Amino acid sequence: MESKVQSPKSGIPGPHLALVGALLVAGGVGLCSDWIDPYHLDVLTNIGINVILAVSLNLVNGHTGQFSLGHAGFMSVGAYLAAAVTLNLAPRLFGPDGGAAGPTALLFLGALLAGGLAAALAGLLVGVPSLRLKGDYLAIVTLGFGQIIVVLFQNFEPLGGALGLNGIPPYTTVGWVLAWAAVAVFTVGCLVRSTYGRGFLAVRDDEVAAAALGLDPTRYKTVAFVVGAFFAGIAGGLYAHFRLTITPGGFDFTKSIEIVVMVILGGMGNTLGVILAAVLLTLLPEVLRPVAEYRMILYSLLLIGLMLVRPQGLFCFKRGRTN
Amino acid sequence: MPPPALLQLDQVTIRFGGLTAVSAVDLAVTEGALVGLIGPNGAGKTTVFNLITGVYQPTAGTIALAGRPLAGLRPHRLAALGIARTFQNIRLFGSLSVLDQVLVACNLHRPTSPVQALVRLGAFQQGEAAMRQRAEELLGLFNLLRFRDQPARSLSYGDQRRLEIVRALATRPRLLLLDEPAAGMNPAEKQALIALIRQIHQEFKLTILLVEHSMRVVMGLCERVAVLDHGEKIAEGTPAEIQNHPAVIAAYLGVDHQTALTHH
Amino acid sequence: MQEFLQQLVNGLSLGAIYALIALGYTMVYGVLRFINFAHSEVFMVGAMTGWAVGRQLPQGTWWGGLVVLGAAMLVCALLGMTIERLVYRPLRGTATLNVLITAIGVSLLLQSVFQHPRVFGATPQLFPPVFPERNFALGGVALSSNQLVVIVVAALLMVGLELVVHRTRLGMAMRAVALNPQAAQLVGVNINAVIALTFALGSALAGAGGVLYALNYPTVEPLMGVMPGLKAFVAAVLGGIGSIPGAALGGLILGTVETFVGGSAWLSTYKDAIAFAVLILILLCRPTGLLGRVAPEKV
Repeated sequence: MESKVQSPKSGIPGPHLALVGALLVAGGVGLCSDWIDPYHLDVLTNIGINVILAVSLNLVNGHTGQFSLGHAGFMSVGAYLAAAVTLNLAPRLFGPDGGAAGPTALLFLGALLAGGLAAALAGLLVGVPSLRLKGDYLAIVTLGFGQIIVVLFQNFEPLGGALGLNGIPPYTTVGWVLAWAAVAVFTVGCLVRSTYGRGFLAVRDDEVAAAALGLDPTRYKTVAFVVGAFFAGIAGGLYAHFRLTITPGGFDFTKSIEIVVMVILGGMGNTLGVILAAVLLTLLPEVLRPVAEYRMILYSLLLIGLMLVRPQGLFCFKRGRTN
Repeated sequence: MPPPALLQLDQVTIRFGGLTAVSAVDLAVTEGALVGLIGPNGAGKTTVFNLITGVYQPTAGTIALAGRPLAGLRPHRLAALGIARTFQNIRLFGSLSVLDQVLVACNLHRPTSPVQALVRLGAFQQGEAAMRQRAEELLGLFNLLRFRDQPARSLSYGDQRRLEIVRALATRPRLLLLDEPAAGMNPAEKQALIALIRQIHQEFKLTILLVEHSMRVVMGLCERVAVLDHGEKIAEGTPAEIQNHPAVIAAYLGVDHQTALTHH
Repeated sequence: MQEFLQQLVNGLSLGAIYALIALGYTMVYGVLRFINFAHSEVFMVGAMTGWAVGRQLPQGTWWGGLVVLGAAMLVCALLGMTIERLVYRPLRGTATLNVLITAIGVSLLLQSVFQHPRVFGATPQLFPPVFPERNFALGGVALSSNQLVVIVVAALLMVGLELVVHRTRLGMAMRAVALNPQAAQLVGVNINAVIALTFALGSALAGAGGVLYALNYPTVEPLMGVMPGLKAFVAAVLGGIGSIPGAALGGLILGTVETFVGGSAWLSTYKDAIAFAVLILILLCRPTGLLGRVAPEKV
């Protein structure tokens, strides 16, 4: 095959190699997990889930500039649906002792995808009407939808109502989480690094000019919203099978804020920065554990201090963006 | 019999609250023409552009492109139909490089889907490369290629204006609307701009509608000129006819109109 | 009918509190164009101040109640000004999202400081009945003196605010800064002073709101501000953020709707969702809120 395209990217595209590499690392860590301290494994799992959440929200809030405060709502849809699938199917398929590694992995993958797709559908339902609003109004409407989703779960008895779901099978391992984090980073990265994906940035920078060039702003925003919601749903499914118990209250707007803080601290639209911020903000409470009484006080002081000292985001070294 | 008009405005009117910004304007732009739209500040020139590009919908009247009515179409659909524009206050994308500004616009006629962007098969790669090549050609034509990787806002004012034109051209328009392309340029730059507009008009076989304050640019370029005042079209004709039109002279009252129209 | 009137009275007294808090959001948004997320914690501090002062006073007296109210307003005004001076002023001119995150930081800080056992702790405490308690019956509609206090105090404060904004030089300066800060500065308005006073006024109203809320739902705890704060913010957006009459209207509508929904047998568990559903419906029909200005985008 002779290709006239003389770019280093011909052959297997670079991003795919990176993805395969990251998946191998995830698998490797997963295999070694027996030798890793369980506490460290827990922290690592938490980090991975937060990376998925932050990177996917970054596509919406950072790259596309649509300030969403409802990410935890989409996370809850994924968590509940994935948990409902495994809770209902696992006992029937595998009996009380649990199944072999292969079938359970397939079931878990199916449950996660179901959760992700349900969250994406919720993203579409929320996004289509609300994305014509801008700025603070969009923020408050997404916040509202997030709260409504929580209240709906509180009142939906088949999914445990306000008490939530218990006894979710412990399928989430560090390997699963890291692999999904790699997929999320790859997806967002590839989307944005294409002429199609430059459109997300164009829509964020100037909607009117973008439309005048034939980009449909609503479509771009909706795609960003749906992809973001999908990964929030995946993260929710992983979270559910990690914590083994979920309640509606765990997905309220405090959780959404937590994710937003990671995105802003990392530097909106800066994928690497957002990953680092997710890692840092997951580690911070752990580091502050010895001074548990003052933990939240220190956390909030740090947050304020960082914003005062580095308003462009903690890990944005290129140029200070103010828009 | 005159050739059919590419762009036809028929009794176009828009009101904002109680204010009638554009009132019953008729305008026909034939295919391949280079038409100027002039008028004092606040005459409604940019509003006409916003109506043609779908940013506003007319309160009354119709706009048609090659006989097709444009009512209800949103800006991105109109861009796909072949209407491109620049903006009076430059609207480049703050976070994109010079090359990316143009690539984004190239995407209109090679739309890649999100799925393709993920899978990145050969066709996608070739498409990306082809767009890149086209964008670089366009930038080269305007002598902007040397800035390709710089952020757009680091360019000089005149270069930013020209980059906006490149970006509009990348959508392969039939009709190009230029909103005060010479604003803020010095005489030498204006002269170069006139040559450039003439060049793209011929090379790209474009129809161009031009809003401009600089009479020198309008008179040097346009075959026909329409004059707006207080939202109404008060005159239309060749540049020579317009310069001596009593209503036009009256509209520019307050300035030394003869000087304004000939030497400015 | 009687039932309806009863719910209406309950709704109005809840709505009046939302309106008081919403005013603070909307005033700050009007002059600085950002959402002061810490406002709900200022509200909480108001209730806490009322609790701390009220325990020292003889209970059930009018003067005692007014002292509590005044103390809460004063403390909150000072708190609001301090937050503005220390945190928001250095950030003025940076991206709104940064200010938003900082505001969230301040909000978390106040919550966690009060959650510390040496300050207050996490356990809810009973709010003392500082005002005289009496129940009136007006044609079958029960009205407690606390509800009456809420409605009267809220109405007086809102009328007072309206007078300040439209009849005083300070109000004129506030409106000027809201329209165009640079131009206001050029004509000699001291922006820093105006912004500080805006924070003081808005925070004082939130402080009053905190005491009034605590009177009717008689407990206080460090997280008590979150939900009312969120709903008051919804009320401000509902009315059109930046609009003072809009905030009052939004608060009253939200309080009333919520009370009616809470009172109905089927929907009561959906009470919190309904507030947001109403907001979403109104915003989708009128994207800038009920009384917000619709400005066509300049191209």
